[in-house]
Amino acid sequence: MTLEVLLQGLIGGLLMGFVYALIAAGLSLIFGLMEIVNFAHGEFLMLAMFATFWAWALAGLDPLLSLPLTAALLFLLGIAVYHGLIRWILGAPMLAQIFATFGLAVFLRSAAQALWGVDFRLVKDPLVSGRISLGGLFIGLPQLVASVGALAAFAFLYWLIRKTETGRALQATAQDRQAAALMGIDTQWMFALGWGIGAACVGVAGGLLTIFFYVFPDVGASFALLAYVAVALGGFGNVPGTLAAGVVVGVVEVMSGLLIAPTLKYVTVFLIYLAVVLWRPQGLFGRF
Amino acid sequence: MATRVTALVLALLAVIAPAAFAQTPKEVVIGVLYPLSGNAAQVGIDSANAVRLAVDIINAKHDLNLPLARGEGLPGLGGAKIRVIFVDHQGKPDVGQAEAERLITQEKVHAVFGAYFSGVTQTVAQVAERYGVPHLNAESSSPLLTERGLKWFFRTSPHDGHFSQAMFDYIRDLEKRRNVKFKTVGIMHEATQFGSDSAKVQEELAAKYGYEVTVKISYRDKATNLDAEVGKLKAANPDILLPSSYTNDAILFVKTAKNLDYNPKLLIAQNAGWTDPTFVKEMGKDVEGHITRAPFALDMAAKKPMIRQVNEMFKKLKDNSTGRDISDAPARAFTGFLTLADAINRAKSVSPEEIRKALVATNIPADQLIMPWTGVKFDEKGQNTGVRAILQQVQNGAYATIYPFELAAADPTFPLTPWKDRK
Amino acid sequence: MAPALRWGLGALALAALLAVPFVVTQPYPRHVFISIFLYATLAQAWNLLAGYCGQISLGHAVFFGTGAYTSSVLGKELGLTPWAGMVAGVALAVALSQLIGYPVFRLRGHYLAIATIAVGEIVQTLMLNWDWVGAARGFFVPIKRPDSFVNFQFHQSKQTYYYIALGLLLLALGVARRIERSRTGFYFRAIREDQDAAASLGIPVAAYKQRAMAWSAGLTAMGGTFYAQYILFIDPESVFPLSLSILICLVAVLGGVGTLWGPLVGAAILVPLSEGTRIYFGGTGKAIDLLIFGALIMLISVVQPGGIMALAQRGRRRTG
Repeated sequence: MTLEVLLQGLIGGLLMGFVYALIAAGLSLIFGLMEIVNFAHGEFLMLAMFATFWAWALAGLDPLLSLPLTAALLFLLGIAVYHGLIRWILGAPMLAQIFATFGLAVFLRSAAQALWGVDFRLVKDPLVSGRISLGGLFIGLPQLVASVGALAAFAFLYWLIRKTETGRALQATAQDRQAAALMGIDTQWMFALGWGIGAACVGVAGGLLTIFFYVFPDVGASFALLAYVAVALGGFGNVPGTLAAGVVVGVVEVMSGLLIAPTLKYVTVFLIYLAVVLWRPQGLFGRF
Repeated sequence: MATRVTALVLALLAVIAPAAFAQTPKEVVIGVLYPLSGNAAQVGIDSANAVRLAVDIINAKHDLNLPLARGEGLPGLGGAKIRVIFVDHQGKPDVGQAEAERLITQEKVHAVFGAYFSGVTQTVAQVAERYGVPHLNAESSSPLLTERGLKWFFRTSPHDGHFSQAMFDYIRDLEKRRNVKFKTVGIMHEATQFGSDSAKVQEELAAKYGYEVTVKISYRDKATNLDAEVGKLKAANPDILLPSSYTNDAILFVKTAKNLDYNPKLLIAQNAGWTDPTFVKEMGKDVEGHITRAPFALDMAAKKPMIRQVNEMFKKLKDNSTGRDISDAPARAFTGFLTLADAINRAKSVSPEEIRKALVATNIPADQLIMPWTGVKFDEKGQNTGVRAILQQVQNGAYATIYPFELAAADPTFPLTPWKDRK
Repeated sequence: MAPALRWGLGALALAALLAVPFVVTQPYPRHVFISIFLYATLAQAWNLLAGYCGQISLGHAVFFGTGAYTSSVLGKELGLTPWAGMVAGVALAVALSQLIGYPVFRLRGHYLAIATIAVGEIVQTLMLNWDWVGAARGFFVPIKRPDSFVNFQFHQSKQTYYYIALGLLLLALGVARRIERSRTGFYFRAIREDQDAAASLGIPVAAYKQRAMAWSAGLTAMGGTFYAQYILFIDPESVFPLSLSILICLVAVLGGVGTLWGPLVGAAILVPLSEGTRIYFGGTGKAIDLLIFGALIMLISVVQPGGIMALAQRGRRRTG
């Protein structure tokens, strides 16, 4: 196990970590607003990837070019899901909320299979392909672009939440929805917006992933699990926290695979998660 | 006197009547179990389509040198047609068991067929054994299935033992041909029943032939990232890589290998992902030179034109909406189903014991098969002894049969071109 | 409803259930009943922890698998009867549950749920790679003929399996009922409603959570042993998966979490529904059955989060 192999692994884990983080960010945002975990988040990712694929297959649009379109589509999906489903379970017990989104996940996954079949789809010859070499270490260009894109999206999200009027309204609603309502902030609209933005994040992640990953109805499941861990690790509701947590997950995944055994890499991720939340139950950066 | 005659006539009627009423059945019903949802749904759907094609060939007149093709229905049963009930076992052994039982006891199928995954095939076989109903399996690869002493289980397909043996035979023959010596082997497999079974056999054979397994990687399927796995392979750099992966992970593996510049000299895959028709199409030149074991080869159409005809019919099936080529697993399903129908036909009855006896006596010659086998003939364990595993290599964007050398359509290329030299 | 009437109806229902195998003689319908009983038992076990005590676990398959593997491995290696294996499985599951609960119960709400998912995934991955018990290849329970109660294998008919499954369900119901009416149950509910208030009242919260966990794990493990002896083949994918953990919760949630009859009602609806949709729609490969399933789950969650039992209560209140 040479240093070169380890460094290579570190790079790979870092790049993938940013993508995990972006997927998790949407989840964290939604939770911060209304304390609902979206168990259909993986399916949102899947739909974003399919949207990107079809834009390429039918209109010849490269995934990078169709990114704004995908983000917009997912934004609308988030709002639609809020108004169609989430609005009705806001006051319900946690279990009912879990199962509402779980039912949505099963529904979306089956709908995708019914509509598009189970074939694995790949975007061929994207604009970004190949790899660059830095002193013997390889960095896949699609992966690099995906992680840079994820970071950019994160920065945008941060700016949106911290620096804009709307973002501050979102924060206010997350902190104390009654007080925010008293101040004239439309809670319903904030919630819908939260879902829209959260879904758009996943939309961007999906679009970026489609440059180098295959698409099929079940593709969201594996990513979703890691996203949940990342969100909980970073602290539910803490969006910057998920960036750090996503990177941790990505790096631990690859490094433990190299140093311990690939078969145990997720075990290590989960063990680290458990260790962290036992020491700090609210996650690395979460507030209670 | 009158009463005696009446009694005699009545007695005669009593004997004849049941015979007159005991008509041969109008149809033969077969239960087919496949994974029609979930990860392996593509293979399940393809295999179901292959069965549909087989049913059409049996029930209608076709000018093909295949069992039962030239007639309509089963002549041995007065032209009875075959009807299939398709069932989705969702990849779960307990669902397979429940469905097999339902098919046998509620739907009254005359035989069961399936089920792709060895774990599900196992539970289905147990049910069939319990009820004394023939179960024909066309594609499950676990060697254990024919080692359980089941009377009603028959398998037409080769199993992992055959396949892996062929791989190592090829390795040793290649060494002689090219005057090279391989020392180390790397095994990479999914942590599923298929992957684990495959890896176990490969490990045993490697030890038997004196190759050192320097790296053995098991990974959770549906991985989001294979950087660690490829990193370890690159570090160990075995002479030969033997992967066992389904399509999605196979795609991710090749892409990651390309990214990280991992160049195995020789790659021999345990089919699954590698024989998915879309795999070579999608991956293009990235998989040039990859070898896989494959019980079926489309390029054998050069020697057996019938294969091309069957493939054309398969592509035109109503349920084959994307016009996929027939590939490994569906081709085996096709062959297995025809074998079963042939046996029922020879049994001239739908009685389970008669069908079983007919299966035992099966002897289909090589020219009536689309598979490159020497025929279909079952041994006392229910395993087809006419099987032949072949190896194919991606050459110029399509699979070419390279082994056994006497069946080969092309010469094998060795070693694999490193990534930087691939155009 | 007057107690006498309630007892009468209950006895009638029990008699009907006992009589079912004599009326229903086809194996497949019997299988559906057995599935209902098994899932109801598992859901009831989960209900003890999550419904009564409020600790949401999404990793309960761990205990199911522990029961299944323990009795099967002991049966093969030591020739132990699966009944003894079941006891061993329960013991192991309970011990495991305490080990898991000790750190994990410090968490709450979603953190707890995800932690249990993490534990479940860890265990499943380890089992997938543990060669001695077959790893991913699975474990075949050696077939023993003829049918025998000691060997817990019945090949001639499902009748005995039916009664054993029913027995397990009655056991789970009995345990739940006793806990419900005891001081333990009272403490459970206090912890569920407001953990901190309960602690301030002097209730040893952690100890009682562990107790709920123990009962829950033990019953689930019994279901695992039953499954192993019923299907005679187990592998990590079928007895340890996340999807099973979620399905168990789903059954309880659908029927009504925290109620005595909820899990049974949930199973009685969900099992035939999933069987029916698979049989009618599964063969097409278009996942229509799962589509309907998903839509239904969403509908129930929205319309009546309290489950079917809550619907029934509402109905009763309206007429009462």
